[in-house]
Amino acid sequence: MSSISLRGVTLDYPVYSVRAKSLRGSLLNVAVGGSLMKNKSDMAVVRAISNLSFDLKEGDRLALLGHNGSGKSSLLKVLAGVYAPTSGVVKIDGRINSMISMSIGLDPEASGLQNIKNLAMMQMVSKKEIARRLPSIIEFSELGTFIDMPFKTYSAGMMARLTFSVATEIPGDIILLDEWLSAGDADFQVKANARMAGFVKDAKIIVLATHNFSMAQTVCNKCLVMEGGRAIFFGSTEEWARQSGAQ
Amino acid sequence: MSLWEGSADAVSDILDGLRLAPLWWQVGLEQTITRYRRTILGPFWLASSTLAAALSIAVVFGSIFGSNVHDTLPFIITGMVAWSVTGAMLVDGSNTFFAASGVMQVRKLPLSFHVFLQVNKLYINFAHQLIALWVVLLLLRLLPVPHWEILLGLPLAAATAVMMYFSIGMLSIRYRDINYMVAFIGQALFMLTPVFWRQSQMSPKLQLIVVLNPFAHLLEVVRQPLLGHPALASDWEASLLFLLFCTVAALVSLTFFRRRVVFWL
Repeated sequence: MSSISLRGVTLDYPVYSVRAKSLRGSLLNVAVGGSLMKNKSDMAVVRAISNLSFDLKEGDRLALLGHNGSGKSSLLKVLAGVYAPTSGVVKIDGRINSMISMSIGLDPEASGLQNIKNLAMMQMVSKKEIARRLPSIIEFSELGTFIDMPFKTYSAGMMARLTFSVATEIPGDIILLDEWLSAGDADFQVKANARMAGFVKDAKIIVLATHNFSMAQTVCNKCLVMEGGRAIFFGSTEEWARQSGAQ
Repeated sequence: MSLWEGSADAVSDILDGLRLAPLWWQVGLEQTITRYRRTILGPFWLASSTLAAALSIAVVFGSIFGSNVHDTLPFIITGMVAWSVTGAMLVDGSNTFFAASGVMQVRKLPLSFHVFLQVNKLYINFAHQLIALWVVLLLLRLLPVPHWEILLGLPLAAATAVMMYFSIGMLSIRYRDINYMVAFIGQALFMLTPVFWRQSQMSPKLQLIVVLNPFAHLLEVVRQPLLGHPALASDWEASLLFLLFCTVAALVSLTFFRRRVVFWL
């Protein structure tokens, strides 16, 4: 049984660059929702998430909405276990498949094939499992004989197709997404969207950070709207659509 | 969080990293291969710079010291190769979390994973150098049969590296000046450690430089067995003491700062 439970989660970021501090500090104040606090030592602290609590159970698809810097990505990273919260409790049951940055492990000099292996390896997939899934990954990516060419010779679209094919091959109980994944030209995108939809359907819980509310409406049943690190709404997607439409 | 929980977490971080051995082994190999992809001589280049420096130093200092080349040459070359897994660990360790920063910001991995990966790469590199060293010494008909103590010396050096990388890695990512400082200390240490000269050649007044230098002892624990002799008991004792010191430093830094490292990147 997969579930996610957050209780009073707060995340403070220390920002250390002393010289850049004043400039960066004032820029952050303007551009970013996160509230800046002055610590007793000479460093700035950004409160990225403030006292956040919610529960997700199996079948839930949560959309994280909010402006740049509202704390969506920070929350994803807390869920992924990259950041430990400053205070509060995060409880997660289930295997997490974090798709926050799919390009980790890519080597431009190596062949596409080797890069598929590298990517899958960084996703903690065993060698046997990689070998078993390799043919279907290659087939889906439509890279054909290019698969043996160095990765750096690929066009941007081909690179995206390769990473997309690997990312959507490995299932997980809980999937963390920073924006909906897609890749390639128009034809490939149709195929990619279908694969993505199937991939999302198989997962037990999805958390998707996005700026595209209409897409969130089609995929997600719940939504969490963030502003300056705080949750200003948590509930069903329809309700938020009503509320925000009424405003 | 209590101190007890914190230190238990520190230990489990190290154990979790050990369990990921297949991953850091594979990633280490892959990253090493990347370094010489598209080169013709490939792995040879990994060993070449150390060996070139070692040979030149052996020739120059061998003649300055006027000692016979059959002793000096293996002593100096082996010393340089052994240095790459003993003294050089200081500089290598300071880069641990710089090298890992990309992964650390998106993947949940124990901190020790990055340390094991870095040490693994150091030893893959060392293996290249060792083979090249043996080939060179064999061609010169100066190849000694290694003493069995090498089977203890190398693991001891590796364990010391693992433990040291935590604290030195964290320090240099938190205070960026440390990273530069370490590079320059590493350079000075290389000269101040009897890598290409012998302790007996130094004036008695300066002997303390060697006695108090943990890397001098660790170096002998690796070098002497490679030259076919057992290392001195005092070198073993000092090296074990140094390992203990590094382990304590690692546990302390993990206990207090493990969760903060990602914010220092």
